Amino acid sequence: MKVMLEARDAMVRRGPRRVLHGVSLVVREGEAVALVGPNAAGKSTLVRALAGLLPVERGEVLLEGRAVGAWDRDGRARVLALVTPEEDAPPALTVEDRVALGRYPHRGPFRPMTADDRAAVAAALAVTGIAGLSRRALETLSAGERQLAALARGLAQQPRVLLLDEPGAHLDVGHQLGLFRVLDEARRGGVAVLAVVHDLQRAAAWAARMVLLHEGRVAAEGPPNEVLTSPEAARAFRVSVRAHALPGGAHPLYSFEEPS
Amino acid sequence: MTEPRRRRVAFAALAATLALALGLATASGSVALPPLSVLSSVAARLGAPEFSPLSEPGQAILWTVRLPRVLLAALVGGGLAVVGAALQSVFRNPMADSGLLGVGSGAALGAVLAVKLGWGQTFFALPVAAFAGAMAAVLAVYVLAHAARRASLHGLLLTGLAVAALAGAGTSVLLVATEEFRVKTVLFWLAGGLEGRSWTHVQLGGGLILAGSAALLALSRPLDVLSLGTDEAAALGLPVHLTRLGLLALSSLVAGAATSVAGSVPFVGLVAPHALRPLVGPLGRHLLPAAFLGGAVLVVLADVAARTLSAQMDLPLGALTAFVGAPYFLLALRTSEGRS
Repeated sequence: MKVMLEARDAMVRRGPRRVLHGVSLVVREGEAVALVGPNAAGKSTLVRALAGLLPVERGEVLLEGRAVGAWDRDGRARVLALVTPEEDAPPALTVEDRVALGRYPHRGPFRPMTADDRAAVAAALAVTGIAGLSRRALETLSAGERQLAALARGLAQQPRVLLLDEPGAHLDVGHQLGLFRVLDEARRGGVAVLAVVHDLQRAAAWAARMVLLHEGRVAAEGPPNEVLTSPEAARAFRVSVRAHALPGGAHPLYSFEEPS
Repeated sequence: MTEPRRRRVAFAALAATLALALGLATASGSVALPPLSVLSSVAARLGAPEFSPLSEPGQAILWTVRLPRVLLAALVGGGLAVVGAALQSVFRNPMADSGLLGVGSGAALGAVLAVKLGWGQTFFALPVAAFAGAMAAVLAVYVLAHAARRASLHGLLLTGLAVAALAGAGTSVLLVATEEFRVKTVLFWLAGGLEGRSWTHVQLGGGLILAGSAALLALSRPLDVLSLGTDEAAALGLPVHLTRLGLLALSSLVAGAATSVAGSVPFVGLVAPHALRPLVGPLGRHLLPAAFLGGAVLVVLADVAARTLSAQMDLPLGALTAFVGAPYFLLALRTSEGRS
């Protein structure tokens, strides 16, 4: 499978503090990667650096083999979409208008909406299940619905790489399952998906590969079950992890306890 | 009512209100002109037959005093409202307006300085000095905010407050040191007013206002993307700092031009976008033109009140917009707090 996004020994600073100390990872076409780690591990910083929003001090980030900073901005935004949990869109904006702004990298400042643009917006609204809310103002929605609107904006970009920072944070369990189903559909369509996920159970059930970030370094990487039951995960989260196989279940159930 | 329909109705109502306000404003004043004759005289200039001729002095009042003043009021109001709407998107704060960039206080300092130096009666020195003052203040805000660090919106806002306070202090000191007979010119200008404005003011100030407002409207889509927040805008491929700089420069140009011909006219940039956003939505391509029309209506009507409320003198225009704007704002604040 083609490598879509790659970090090579990326070192990233935020202000005076070095947050990432040489991170390497790869996301391939049609792959689902869960990025996990304790608070302050550098997950959001890594996602922003991968998206080209933060410069790397040393090492490099490659999007389709080319340094992410070397892409022209519009071109990069047509290939890579970022969905963050900071939801600051104007409160009076309607869901449809918000999602339509995802077409900006395709339209630029002046090109009018085409049939393709409209189709992309409609598809993004439909697949996220918020087509019924399209004429509502954002301020009238719940936090979870706003999060789905942000995801729909990312999908409307029609990216080949989708980066998400805690996409399920405000969603109830049903909407979470729906969200990861949407991500799976995108993945099956060939999109490389990397998501920061706090819910380890959910992350393990969804992702084919898990990357554990701890204190700005990749502490473990591999199939979710191996990563979660590794001593590195226990050290990073300061818990002891046990996997319980369920009869007939596709994924083990994990339990976490404070170390004795 | 569906959203596009509501928007169309809102625009039609705004346009009709502006037309009525312009008509009322040209007809009324210390010398009332019959509205029909005003219409006839304007039609005659445009090549239509005259159906209700104005008297000789009526013609003179209409064409040399009334019309330039009314048109300038519309342009100043429209420009200030467009700038308010644009800055509210740039700063992502419904309370933002041109005052935050130091435009008003810089213009005041420039004007007072010109009067102090004895240029008060020199042709056009006052507006030019005010415009220069406004631009200098905005430039100072921008440079100081960037010298501190890579300018955040927050830093820009706080620097704007500091520069405005400094310019205000300078204005006070100069005012105290100004000869008494000159203070009146300054005071009138500080409080805002359109008394004695000519076609030259309309051409220079109005031209800048129109061109700048049109440029802001052309940039309405980048403005919308910017209103999503720095990270999201950058992720969508927008050159965030460059776009912000361009929008701030255009906004200062328009607000500087408006302030240099009309003095301080507060609250228009806040009230017009705030009142119209629920009707036409927050997208720039709808809100900016609607704000222009709404701001024009506000200032044209305020100027009618300024000219006609007192028989002895013109009231200060800026005080009138504040008399309407401040209570409106308190009321809006109360209802929005009641809702949440």
